[in-house]
Amino acid sequence: MKQNLSISLDMSSDKQHSPFVYTDEQLIARFQSGDEGAYIELVNRYKDRLTNFVYQFLGDVEQAEDIVQDTMLKLYEKKHYYREIAKFSTWIYTIARNLANTELRKRKRRKTTYLSRMSREEREYEIPAVQPNLDENLQNEFIMERVHQAIKKLPEHFKTVIILRDLEELSYDEISSIVGVPLGTIKSRINRARLQLQAELQDLK
Amino acid sequence: MNRYQFEDLISEYIENELSFSKRKEFESYLEGNPDALEMVNAIRSNIKKAGALPKVKTSSDFNDRLLDRIRSKSDERTDGSPIKGLIFGFSPIHASIMMGLVIAFVFINIQLFSPAFDSQDTNLLYTTNEKLTDPDLRSLSKTNNAQNANLANLTGDSTYADSVYQSKKDYSKKIQFVND
Repeated sequence: MKQNLSISLDMSSDKQHSPFVYTDEQLIARFQSGDEGAYIELVNRYKDRLTNFVYQFLGDVEQAEDIVQDTMLKLYEKKHYYREIAKFSTWIYTIARNLANTELRKRKRRKTTYLSRMSREEREYEIPAVQPNLDENLQNEFIMERVHQAIKKLPEHFKTVIILRDLEELSYDEISSIVGVPLGTIKSRINRARLQLQAELQDLK
Repeated sequence: MNRYQFEDLISEYIENELSFSKRKEFESYLEGNPDALEMVNAIRSNIKKAGALPKVKTSSDFNDRLLDRIRSKSDERTDGSPIKGLIFGFSPIHASIMMGLVIAFVFINIQLFSPAFDSQDTNLLYTTNEKLTDPDLRSLSKTNNAQNANLANLTGDSTYADSVYQSKKDYSKKIQFVND
Protein backbone atom coordinates (compact mmCIF):
# COMPACT_ATOMS: atom_id res chain seq x y z
CA MET A 1 0.00 0.00 0.00
CA LYS A 2 2.88 2.37 0.77
CA GLN A 3 4.41 2.34 -2.70
CA ASN A 4 1.02 3.17 -4.22
CA LEU A 5 0.83 6.26 -2.06
CA SER A 6 3.88 7.74 -3.74
CA ILE A 7 1.56 8.81 -6.58
CA SER A 8 1.02 12.53 -6.31
CA LEU A 9 -2.51 13.80 -6.17
CA ASP A 10 -2.04 16.11 -9.11
CA MET A 11 -4.84 17.93 -10.89
CA SER A 12 -2.88 18.09 -14.13
CA SER A 13 -2.91 14.33 -14.59
CA ASP A 14 -3.17 13.08 -18.19
CA LYS A 15 -6.29 11.15 -17.32
CA GLN A 16 -8.15 14.43 -17.09
CA HIS A 17 -7.70 14.97 -20.80
CA SER A 18 -8.01 11.35 -21.83
CA PRO A 19 -10.60 10.78 -24.58
CA PHE A 20 -11.85 7.74 -22.65
CA VAL A 21 -13.71 8.93 -19.60
CA TYR A 22 -14.48 6.43 -16.89
CA THR A 23 -17.77 6.71 -15.07
CA ASP A 24 -17.62 7.27 -11.31
CA GLU A 25 -18.77 3.70 -10.74
CA GLN A 26 -16.00 2.32 -12.96
CA LEU A 27 -13.47 4.44 -11.11
CA ILE A 28 -14.54 3.26 -7.67
CA ALA A 29 -14.47 -0.33 -8.92
CA ARG A 30 -10.89 0.20 -10.12
CA PHE A 31 -9.98 1.82 -6.82
CA GLN A 32 -11.50 -1.10 -4.92
CA SER A 33 -9.22 -3.42 -6.86
CA GLY A 34 -6.16 -1.37 -5.88
CA ASP A 35 -5.81 1.36 -8.50
CA GLU A 36 -4.83 4.50 -6.55
CA GLY A 37 -4.99 6.58 -9.72
CA ALA A 38 -8.74 6.02 -9.80
CA TYR A 39 -8.95 7.46 -6.29
CA ILE A 40 -7.10 10.57 -7.41
CA GLU A 41 -9.48 10.99 -10.31
CA LEU A 42 -12.48 10.71 -7.98
CA VAL A 43 -10.98 13.25 -5.59
CA ASN A 44 -10.40 15.68 -8.44
CA ARG A 45 -13.91 15.18 -9.76
CA TYR A 46 -15.68 15.76 -6.47
CA LYS A 47 -13.58 18.01 -4.25
CA ASP A 48 -14.94 21.32 -5.56
CA ARG A 49 -18.54 20.15 -5.82
CA LEU A 50 -18.50 18.76 -2.31
CA THR A 51 -16.77 21.82 -0.87
CA ASN A 52 -19.40 24.04 -2.44
CA PHE A 53 -22.16 21.76 -1.13
CA VAL A 54 -20.83 21.69 2.43
CA TYR A 55 -20.09 25.42 2.35
CA GLN A 56 -23.80 26.13 1.85
CA PHE A 57 -24.48 24.47 5.21
CA LEU A 58 -21.56 25.77 7.20
CA GLY A 59 -20.90 29.14 5.56
CA ASP A 60 -17.18 28.76 6.21
CA VAL A 61 -14.83 27.75 3.39
CA GLU A 62 -12.05 26.41 5.60
CA GLN A 63 -14.37 24.26 7.63
CA ALA A 64 -16.11 23.08 4.47
CA GLU A 65 -12.72 22.05 3.10
CA ASP A 66 -11.90 20.17 6.29
CA ILE A 67 -15.18 18.28 6.04
CA VAL A 68 -14.42 17.38 2.42
CA GLN A 69 -10.96 16.20 3.48
CA ASP A 70 -12.62 13.93 6.02
CA THR A 71 -15.03 12.73 3.34
CA MET A 72 -12.18 11.88 0.98
CA LEU A 73 -10.31 10.14 3.79
CA LYS A 74 -13.40 8.07 4.50
CA LEU A 75 -13.63 7.22 0.82
CA TYR A 76 -10.03 6.03 0.97
CA GLU A 77 -10.46 3.95 4.12
CA LYS A 78 -13.96 2.58 3.50
CA LYS A 79 -13.78 2.04 -0.23
CA HIS A 80 -15.02 -1.56 0.13
CA TYR A 81 -18.22 -0.40 1.79
CA TYR A 82 -19.44 0.98 -1.52
CA ARG A 83 -21.70 -1.42 -3.42
CA GLU A 84 -22.94 -0.62 -6.87
CA ILE A 85 -26.57 -0.53 -5.84
CA ALA A 86 -26.50 3.26 -5.74
CA LYS A 87 -24.69 5.87 -7.78
CA PHE A 88 -21.26 6.82 -6.49
CA SER A 89 -22.28 10.50 -6.35
CA THR A 90 -25.14 9.59 -4.02
CA TRP A 91 -22.79 7.71 -1.72
CA ILE A 92 -20.15 10.43 -1.52
CA TYR A 93 -22.70 13.22 -1.06
CA THR A 94 -24.30 11.20 1.74
CA ILE A 95 -20.96 10.89 3.54
CA ALA A 96 -20.29 14.62 3.16
CA ARG A 97 -23.80 15.52 4.28
CA ASN A 98 -23.56 13.34 7.40
CA LEU A 99 -20.21 14.86 8.34
CA ALA A 100 -21.59 18.37 7.77
CA ASN A 101 -24.61 17.55 9.93
CA THR A 102 -22.34 16.34 12.72
CA GLU A 103 -20.43 19.62 12.53
CA LEU A 104 -23.70 21.58 12.58
CA ARG A 105 -24.88 19.71 15.66
CA LYS A 106 -21.62 20.55 17.42
CA ARG A 107 -22.08 24.18 16.44
CA LYS A 108 -25.64 24.30 17.70
CA ARG A 109 -24.47 23.17 21.11
CA ARG A 110 -21.85 25.92 21.12
CA LYS A 111 -24.27 28.49 19.69
CA THR A 112 -26.75 28.01 22.53
CA THR A 113 -24.24 29.38 24.96
CA TYR A 114 -23.16 32.23 22.68
CA LEU A 115 -26.77 33.31 22.09
CA SER A 116 -27.43 33.59 25.77
CA ARG A 117 -24.53 36.04 26.01
CA MET A 118 -25.75 38.18 23.08
CA SER A 119 -27.73 41.34 23.51
CA ARG A 120 -31.27 41.65 22.14
CA GLU A 121 -30.08 43.98 19.31
CA GLU A 122 -27.54 41.44 18.15
CA ARG A 123 -30.10 38.65 18.15
CA GLU A 124 -32.60 40.59 16.12
CA TYR A 125 -30.14 41.59 13.42
CA GLU A 126 -31.64 41.43 9.94
CA ILE A 127 -30.20 41.96 6.50
CA PRO A 128 -31.62 45.12 4.94
CA ALA A 129 -33.54 45.04 1.65
CA VAL A 130 -31.91 45.97 -1.68
CA GLN A 131 -30.20 49.32 -1.53
CA PRO A 132 -30.84 51.37 -4.69
CA ASN A 133 -27.71 53.54 -4.53
CA LEU A 134 -25.20 50.73 -5.03
CA ASP A 135 -23.59 50.25 -8.46
CA GLU A 136 -24.47 47.19 -10.54
CA ASN A 137 -21.62 44.91 -9.42
CA LEU A 138 -22.18 45.68 -5.80
CA GLN A 139 -25.91 45.29 -6.33
CA ASN A 140 -25.39 41.81 -7.80
CA GLU A 141 -23.10 40.88 -4.96
CA PHE A 142 -25.69 42.09 -2.53
CA ILE A 143 -28.46 40.10 -4.22
CA MET A 144 -26.33 36.97 -4.15
CA GLU A 145 -25.67 37.48 -0.47
CA ARG A 146 -29.40 37.87 0.14
CA VAL A 147 -30.10 34.63 -1.75
CA HIS A 148 -27.37 32.89 0.17
CA GLN A 149 -28.73 34.12 3.49
CA ALA A 150 -32.29 33.18 2.52
CA ILE A 151 -31.15 29.63 1.74
CA LYS A 152 -29.27 29.52 5.03
CA LYS A 153 -32.43 30.56 6.86
CA LEU A 154 -34.48 27.65 5.49
CA PRO A 155 -35.30 24.76 7.81
CA GLU A 156 -32.71 21.99 7.57
CA HIS A 157 -34.88 19.56 5.56
CA PHE A 158 -35.71 22.27 3.01
CA LYS A 159 -32.18 23.63 2.83
CA THR A 160 -30.63 20.25 1.99
CA VAL A 161 -32.97 19.56 -0.91
CA ILE A 162 -32.76 23.08 -2.35
CA ILE A 163 -28.95 23.00 -2.28
CA LEU A 164 -28.87 19.59 -3.91
CA ARG A 165 -31.40 20.56 -6.58
CA ASP A 166 -30.84 24.22 -7.44
CA LEU A 167 -27.17 24.60 -6.61
CA GLU A 168 -25.73 21.15 -7.22
CA GLU A 169 -28.28 20.31 -9.93
CA LEU A 170 -28.71 16.69 -8.91
CA SER A 171 -31.68 14.67 -10.13
CA TYR A 172 -34.70 14.05 -7.93
CA ASP A 173 -33.76 10.35 -7.74
CA GLU A 174 -30.26 11.14 -6.51
CA ILE A 175 -31.58 13.57 -3.93
CA SER A 176 -34.09 10.98 -2.77
CA SER A 177 -31.28 8.47 -2.21
CA ILE A 178 -29.00 10.96 -0.46
CA VAL A 179 -31.66 12.26 1.89
CA GLY A 180 -33.26 8.83 2.32
CA VAL A 181 -36.88 9.87 1.80
CA PRO A 182 -39.33 8.92 -0.97
CA LEU A 183 -39.27 10.71 -4.31
CA GLY A 184 -42.72 12.26 -3.80
CA THR A 185 -41.64 13.77 -0.49
CA ILE A 186 -38.52 15.22 -2.14
CA LYS A 187 -40.58 16.85 -4.88
CA SER A 188 -42.96 18.31 -2.34
CA ARG A 189 -40.11 19.57 -0.13
CA ILE A 190 -38.36 21.25 -3.06
CA ASN A 191 -41.59 22.97 -4.06
CA ARG A 192 -42.27 24.15 -0.51
CA ALA A 193 -38.67 25.32 -0.10
CA ARG A 194 -38.94 27.37 -3.30
CA LEU A 195 -42.16 28.95 -2.08
CA GLN A 196 -40.51 29.83 1.20
CA LEU A 197 -37.50 31.32 -0.60
CA GLN A 198 -39.83 33.35 -2.78
CA ALA A 199 -41.58 34.73 0.28
CA GLU A 200 -38.22 35.62 1.81
CA LEU A 201 -36.88 37.30 -1.32
CA GLN A 202 -40.05 38.95 -2.66
CA ASP A 203 -38.56 42.43 -2.33
CA LEU A 204 -35.79 41.50 -4.77
CA LYS A 205 -36.43 42.31 -8.41
CA MET B 1 -57.77 24.56 -10.04
CA ASN B 2 -57.60 26.30 -6.69
CA ARG B 3 -54.72 28.19 -5.05
CA TYR B 4 -53.38 25.15 -3.13
CA GLN B 5 -53.34 22.95 -6.23
CA PHE B 6 -51.61 25.75 -8.14
CA GLU B 7 -48.88 26.12 -5.49
CA ASP B 8 -48.30 22.37 -5.38
CA LEU B 9 -47.64 22.27 -9.12
CA ILE B 10 -45.33 25.28 -9.52
CA SER B 11 -42.04 23.33 -9.49
CA GLU B 12 -43.34 20.65 -11.82
CA TYR B 13 -44.55 23.37 -14.20
CA ILE B 14 -41.19 25.18 -14.16
CA GLU B 15 -39.34 21.91 -14.76
CA ASN B 16 -41.69 20.81 -17.55
CA GLU B 17 -42.84 17.72 -15.72
CA LEU B 18 -46.57 18.27 -16.00
CA SER B 19 -48.70 16.24 -18.36
CA PHE B 20 -50.17 18.10 -21.33
CA SER B 21 -53.65 18.37 -19.83
CA LYS B 22 -52.32 19.52 -16.41
CA ARG B 23 -50.11 22.05 -18.10
CA LYS B 24 -53.06 23.49 -19.99
CA GLU B 25 -55.04 23.68 -16.78
CA PHE B 26 -52.12 25.36 -14.99
CA GLU B 27 -51.65 27.94 -17.76
CA SER B 28 -55.32 28.81 -17.86
CA TYR B 29 -55.10 29.43 -14.08
CA LEU B 30 -52.11 31.74 -14.68
CA GLU B 31 -54.06 33.67 -17.31
CA GLY B 32 -56.83 34.34 -14.85
CA ASN B 33 -54.48 35.21 -11.95
CA PRO B 34 -51.74 37.74 -12.73
CA ASP B 35 -50.34 37.50 -9.19
CA ALA B 36 -49.90 33.75 -9.72
CA LEU B 37 -47.97 34.41 -12.92
CA GLU B 38 -45.80 36.91 -11.05
CA MET B 39 -45.14 34.30 -8.39
CA VAL B 40 -44.09 31.68 -10.94
CA ASN B 41 -41.72 34.17 -12.59
CA ALA B 42 -40.24 35.14 -9.24
CA ILE B 43 -39.60 31.50 -8.34
CA ARG B 44 -38.04 30.88 -11.75
CA SER B 45 -35.78 33.88 -11.19
CA ASN B 46 -34.79 32.69 -7.71
CA ILE B 47 -33.81 29.29 -9.08
CA LYS B 48 -31.54 31.05 -11.57
CA LYS B 49 -30.04 33.22 -8.84
CA ALA B 50 -29.42 30.21 -6.62
CA GLY B 51 -27.73 28.41 -9.52
CA ALA B 52 -25.57 31.49 -10.16
CA LEU B 53 -24.32 31.76 -6.59
CA PRO B 54 -20.52 31.96 -6.62
CA LYS B 55 -19.00 28.49 -6.39
CA VAL B 56 -16.52 27.84 -3.65
CA LYS B 57 -13.38 26.02 -4.70
CA THR B 58 -10.87 24.05 -2.72
CA SER B 59 -7.47 25.55 -2.04
CA SER B 60 -4.50 24.59 -4.19
CA ASP B 61 -2.90 22.51 -1.43
CA PHE B 62 -6.04 20.41 -0.84
CA ASN B 63 -4.58 17.31 -2.50
CA ASP B 64 -1.23 17.62 -0.72
CA ARG B 65 -2.90 17.91 2.65
CA LEU B 66 -5.12 14.94 1.87
CA LEU B 67 -2.13 12.89 0.80
CA ASP B 68 -0.33 13.79 4.04
CA ARG B 69 -3.29 12.66 6.08
CA ILE B 70 -3.54 9.37 4.19
CA ARG B 71 0.19 8.81 4.67
CA SER B 72 0.11 9.55 8.37
CA LYS B 73 -2.88 7.22 8.82
CA SER B 74 -1.17 4.38 6.96
CA ASP B 75 2.08 5.03 8.87
CA GLU B 76 0.16 4.75 12.13
CA ARG B 77 -1.00 1.31 11.10
CA THR B 78 2.33 0.03 9.81
CA ASP B 79 4.14 1.31 12.95
CA GLY B 80 1.87 -0.83 15.09
CA SER B 81 1.43 2.13 17.40
CA PRO B 82 -1.99 2.17 19.02
CA ILE B 83 -4.64 4.08 17.12
CA LYS B 84 -6.32 6.81 19.11
CA GLY B 85 -9.62 5.75 20.69
CA LEU B 86 -9.01 2.00 20.39
CA ILE B 87 -8.53 -0.46 23.26
CA PHE B 88 -6.16 -3.27 22.21
CA GLY B 89 -7.18 -2.62 18.63
CA PHE B 90 -10.91 -2.79 19.39
CA SER B 91 -13.40 0.02 19.51
CA PRO B 92 -14.75 0.66 23.06
CA ILE B 93 -18.07 -1.10 22.29
CA HIS B 94 -16.39 -4.18 20.83
CA ALA B 95 -13.86 -4.25 23.64
CA SER B 96 -16.61 -4.24 26.29
CA ILE B 97 -18.54 -6.99 24.48
CA MET B 98 -15.38 -9.09 24.28
CA MET B 99 -14.65 -8.49 27.96
CA GLY B 100 -18.19 -9.57 28.88
CA LEU B 101 -17.84 -12.76 26.86
CA VAL B 102 -14.50 -13.60 28.48
CA ILE B 103 -15.93 -13.07 31.98
CA ALA B 104 -18.98 -15.22 31.14
CA PHE B 105 -16.70 -17.98 29.78
CA VAL B 106 -14.52 -17.99 32.89
CA PHE B 107 -17.56 -18.02 35.20
CA ILE B 108 -19.18 -20.94 33.37
CA ASN B 109 -15.90 -22.90 33.48
CA ILE B 110 -15.57 -22.35 37.22
CA GLN B 111 -19.14 -23.58 37.73
CA LEU B 112 -18.63 -26.68 35.60
CA PHE B 113 -15.20 -27.86 36.73
CA SER B 114 -14.81 -26.69 40.33
CA PRO B 115 -14.29 -29.56 42.95
CA ALA B 116 -17.18 -28.39 45.13
CA PHE B 117 -19.55 -28.80 42.27
CA ASP B 118 -18.09 -32.29 41.54
CA SER B 119 -18.61 -33.82 45.08
CA GLN B 120 -22.08 -32.40 45.40
CA ASP B 121 -22.94 -33.94 42.10
CA THR B 122 -21.50 -37.37 43.13
CA ASN B 123 -23.47 -37.48 46.42
CA LEU B 124 -26.62 -36.72 44.63
CA LEU B 125 -25.93 -39.44 42.13
CA TYR B 126 -25.20 -42.21 44.68
CA THR B 127 -27.99 -41.52 47.12
CA THR B 128 -30.52 -41.80 44.39
CA ASN B 129 -28.96 -45.01 43.09
CA GLU B 130 -30.33 -48.09 44.93
CA LYS B 131 -27.97 -50.71 43.54
CA LEU B 132 -24.79 -49.98 45.41
CA THR B 133 -22.03 -52.47 44.88
CA ASP B 134 -18.93 -50.91 46.36
CA PRO B 135 -18.63 -51.71 50.15
CA ASP B 136 -17.40 -48.21 50.92
CA LEU B 137 -20.40 -46.79 49.20
CA ARG B 138 -22.67 -49.17 51.16
CA SER B 139 -21.29 -47.85 54.42
CA LEU B 140 -21.81 -44.38 53.11
CA SER B 141 -25.37 -45.34 52.34
CA LYS B 142 -25.85 -46.66 55.92
CA THR B 143 -24.62 -43.39 57.34
CA ASN B 144 -27.09 -41.67 55.19
CA ASN B 145 -29.85 -43.99 56.47
CA ALA B 146 -28.97 -43.16 60.12
CA GLN B 147 -29.07 -39.50 59.28
CA ASN B 148 -32.43 -40.01 57.63
CA ALA B 149 -33.70 -41.80 60.78
CA ASN B 150 -32.62 -38.95 63.01
CA LEU B 151 -34.34 -36.61 60.68
CA ALA B 152 -37.46 -38.79 60.80
CA ASN B 153 -37.43 -38.68 64.62
CA LEU B 154 -37.17 -34.99 64.63
CA THR B 155 -40.05 -34.65 62.23
CA GLY B 156 -42.16 -37.29 64.05
CA ASP B 157 -42.15 -39.96 61.36
CA SER B 158 -42.00 -42.98 63.76
CA THR B 159 -42.60 -45.81 61.26
CA TYR B 160 -39.45 -45.02 59.36
CA ALA B 161 -37.39 -44.59 62.56
CA ASP B 162 -38.63 -47.93 64.03
CA SER B 163 -37.78 -49.87 60.92
CA VAL B 164 -34.28 -48.48 60.98
CA TYR B 165 -33.66 -49.17 64.70
CA GLN B 166 -35.02 -52.74 64.60
CA SER B 167 -32.21 -53.71 62.34
CA LYS B 168 -29.70 -52.67 65.03
CA LYS B 169 -28.50 -55.25 67.67
CA ASP B 170 -29.74 -54.80 71.27
CA TYR B 171 -26.70 -54.68 73.62
CA SER B 172 -28.56 -53.44 76.74
CA LYS B 173 -28.61 -56.90 78.51
CA LYS B 174 -24.92 -57.42 77.95
CA ILE B 175 -23.96 -54.23 79.62
CA GLN B 176 -22.98 -54.74 83.25
CA PHE B 177 -22.00 -52.15 85.77
CA VAL B 178 -18.75 -52.79 87.71
CA ASN B 179 -20.44 -52.62 91.14
CA ASP B 180 -23.08 -55.28 90.22
